[in-house]
Amino acid sequence: MRYADFTPYDLVLLAQGLGVTLGLFAATTLIGLALGAALTVLHYYRVPVIGHVVVAVTELLKNSPVLVQLFLVFFGMPAFFQVNMTPVTAALLTVSLNTAAFAFVIFRSGVEAVDRDQIEAARVFGHSRWQILRRIISPQAAAFSVGPLIGLLVNQLQVTSLISVIGVADLTKIGNILNLRTLEPFVVWSVIGLTYYLCAKALAALGGRLERHLRRSVVWQGL
Amino acid sequence: MIEINNVEKRFGSAEVLKRINLKVEPGEVVTILGSSGSGKSTLIRCINGLETLSGGAIRVDGNDVSTAAGLAAARRRSATVFQLFNLYPHMTVLQNVTLAPIHVLGQPRAEAETRARALLDLVGLTAQADAYPQRLSGGQRQRVGICRALAMQPRYLLLDEVTSALDPEMTGEVLDILARLAAEGTTMVFVTHEIEFARRISDRIVFLEAGELIVDMPAEAFFSEEGGLAVPRIRKFLSKMTKD
Amino acid sequence: MIRSWNALEPHLGFLLEGFALTVAACVLAVAGAVVLGALIASLRTARSRAARAVAAVYCDLFRNVPFIVQLFFFFYGLPELGIYIGAFETGVLAMSIAGGAFVADVIRAGILSIEQGVIEAARVFGLGRWQIFSRIVMPNALRVSVRPMGSVLINLVLTSSILSTITVNELTGTAKIVAATTFMPFEVYAVLLVLYAALTYALSLAVAGVHRRLNRGMPEAVA
Ligand SMILES: Nc1ncnc2c1ncn2[C@@H]1O[C@H](COP(=O)(O)OP(=O)(O)OP(=O)(O)O)[C@@H](O)[C@H]1O
Ligand SMILES: [Mg+2]
Repeated sequence: MRYADFTPYDLVLLAQGLGVTLGLFAATTLIGLALGAALTVLHYYRVPVIGHVVVAVTELLKNSPVLVQLFLVFFGMPAFFQVNMTPVTAALLTVSLNTAAFAFVIFRSGVEAVDRDQIEAARVFGHSRWQILRRIISPQAAAFSVGPLIGLLVNQLQVTSLISVIGVADLTKIGNILNLRTLEPFVVWSVIGLTYYLCAKALAALGGRLERHLRRSVVWQGL
Repeated sequence: MIEINNVEKRFGSAEVLKRINLKVEPGEVVTILGSSGSGKSTLIRCINGLETLSGGAIRVDGNDVSTAAGLAAARRRSATVFQLFNLYPHMTVLQNVTLAPIHVLGQPRAEAETRARALLDLVGLTAQADAYPQRLSGGQRQRVGICRALAMQPRYLLLDEVTSALDPEMTGEVLDILARLAAEGTTMVFVTHEIEFARRISDRIVFLEAGELIVDMPAEAFFSEEGGLAVPRIRKFLSKMTKD
Repeated sequence: MIRSWNALEPHLGFLLEGFALTVAACVLAVAGAVVLGALIASLRTARSRAARAVAAVYCDLFRNVPFIVQLFFFFYGLPELGIYIGAFETGVLAMSIAGGAFVADVIRAGILSIEQGVIEAARVFGLGRWQIFSRIVMPNALRVSVRPMGSVLINLVLTSSILSTITVNELTGTAKIVAATTFMPFEVYAVLLVLYAALTYALSLAVAGVHRRLNRGMPEAVA
């Protein structure tokens, strides 16, 4: 009780932070998965040069700290390209690209896991490359990818906590604010940590249910 | 007619097919025999466009398989049955059979399904139409493979060791169906190690040896003393094959 | 390009100091994580139910709360308990604790991967408990653990960048300072990104090398 006590309003603050975290997570997940899928299609068509560039960039994104990526986008891009960059834009851009890079790798190994012989069979029956991708490869690759994707998203939820460092008012940033004001680090960070923990658990449970549901449905029956 | 003219195939420096010439007329059953590694599968894969030719040309009813348009037309006229079935695991039997008729031939779904069910009836798989391939025995899977090929209403059926992954009983199931198709006048190019069966259904037999087509003669002649058996290499091959 | 290089050159020594601190933090944290991980893994395979539960909760908790939250918890919380250690030490501690949760899972998986039949065979041949552990269980567990252990290590390297948020001037921390003094954040962070990627790439090559050494003559499926 040295500085300022907790107030009921802090709960609102916490809820706002959680909303920002979940909103940003949802948005970057949607963008990231869509982009990852698009990159996989590009890679599947073996577009010259672009395919290699995509692989190189995704490797770079996978193998460097997200914090540095955030700094590059938030501090570096405005200075170098003379563009405006709000913390939220930088966060959206960085985390989406990061999710896309990992999703690309997951989708690509899903595609590669589809048995070559079936694809040969489909080619012999005269299906086009697009038909093979859509009817033979995608359903199976999607089924192979669900498990790893759930793991990825549980991880990406945690990754969003880094956007607090560039000033986005997410759950962690609210933690910082409350920590500074109340000087009750144990309480504050325990509550923040627990909130993340529960979100991760809920996400994993949701993912597990989705996986079981899919397993019972058509796409999985044969796999 | 399938025309194979001076076809060559190399993998790196290995010459797998050497100037092969072969014609298959409509209604014929042509069996390709030869020891392991002689190039039988490669020849089939050249006909259905899974391998690109190193030399020569293959035409299916005049369509050159080395051009994109020609290959597309050739693939609409021929259909392949695979040694390891190569069914689509995420689709039911019926979906496996109707996929190409709907999306390649553009048949309406209802029509394709009716035809598919009729074919499945024919091979005794009426009850399995909605099952997934994993639930079927090997013999049943290969019968699906045959239906999938027949659903394309192909002029030519290409079969590469379609029974070698099956036990004797299931082999019998599949061979019975093929014999029926042969009797109905289906044109087939048939790679097999089932010598007795080949003798029974073939019009002609060709023999591949280390990538060369060394013999091409009517089935009766192939198995006669003055015909195929007069060639030492074939005599040896046949005696070995019929022993085991 | 030349201009950027000239501007960056005077700061290379400083960046190198940061790099040295990153290496130091990672080496210490890996040692700490392995010790903690081995301890937790043995608790997880222990007879006592309570021990197993404690170990399971530990892994679950530290894997599902963002590292930055854990870091703030210790950084702001420890002084409350009267424990005054430097930021660097706090960072190493947090990395060891979080890393330990991952290492524990790797070791556990390694131990569980050994076929019961092999151990039974050893017992039948009269080997003692310790001999079985040191000659059969450990070598096999290590062999299958190299690759996952390598990815834990690589993740720790990437995670170490987060120490910059608690005033530790490791590689990312020094880069932040250099970016601010040179007014060239884009160049600095771009170089930093590539540097981290090169570092983790070199590490992954080393891990693959060790893996090959330990698995010489082993079929890939077993390894
Ligand atoms: N993709 C490839 N790359 C390199 N060599 C190949 C390839 N495919 C086939 N070969 C080689 O070509 C030769 C002929 O192979 P092919 O599969 O056509 O023989 P086959 O007559 O069908 O034998 P089997 O009776 O065992 O099926 C073999 O020596 C094989 O090793
Ligand atoms: Mg073959």
